[in-house]
Amino acid sequence: MFEIAYGSDGEVLCAGRLDAAQCEKAQSFMDEIGDTRTLDFSALEYISSAGLGILLKTQKRLAESGAALKIVNVNKHIYDVFRYSGFNAIFDIKEKQ
Amino acid sequence: MHKDFARDYDSLTALYQFAEDILAANDIGEAIRFPVHLALEELFTNMVKYSPDTDGDIGVEVVVDGGGVTVTLTEEDVDEFDVTRPRDVDTGAPLAERTPGGLGLYLLQNIVDSLEYDYHDRRSSVVFTKESG
Repeated sequence: MFEIAYGSDGEVLCAGRLDAAQCEKAQSFMDEIGDTRTLDFSALEYISSAGLGILLKTQKRLAESGAALKIVNVNKHIYDVFRYSGFNAIFDIKEKQ
Repeated sequence: MHKDFARDYDSLTALYQFAEDILAANDIGEAIRFPVHLALEELFTNMVKYSPDTDGDIGVEVVVDGGGVTVTLTEEDVDEFDVTRPRDVDTGAPLAERTPGGLGLYLLQNIVDSLEYDYHDRRSSVVFTKESG
């Protein structure tokens, strides 16, 4: 199960497991983002390379207009995936405290 | 424990639950469960993606032994695809030079403790182990 929705402050709340079967849902939502936006991963349990691809594609599109995704409340395991992928250098990422 | 899964991304939820039930029943901690699920998905989706002309199921076996986990994936009537071959991914490249895709097997190779591939008679078998967080 994967859920994605806007929070009360305009942040994007992601929850559950972002695997390859959920990419269409995630991509459709991300395609509507046109400005700098914070993704709150506090309830996101898991992400695979398929989800990383969506984040990268969105970040590259936003960069063309000077915008960017910021990612907060990332759990340790997902942060490790970002680190292995080098995403910690191309995204502003904050680990969950 | 062994189970066959339809060669489709829609199998991922059942695949996750199959592995999760075994790992939870054996008190395997999150530090091992997360990479096992990630490696399992990356291998399964790779098999779905790169053998589009085959519709046979993908067999998955998960064995827990002494706190370590061994996972085997098998498929029949497929072309050779050596998942142990080093992947050329520049994880230090700036955003402008990064392209989506290609990270799955790179991640796999970095998060498991061992990875073996066998291919003969058009049958592929991949075995990985994860023993530490």
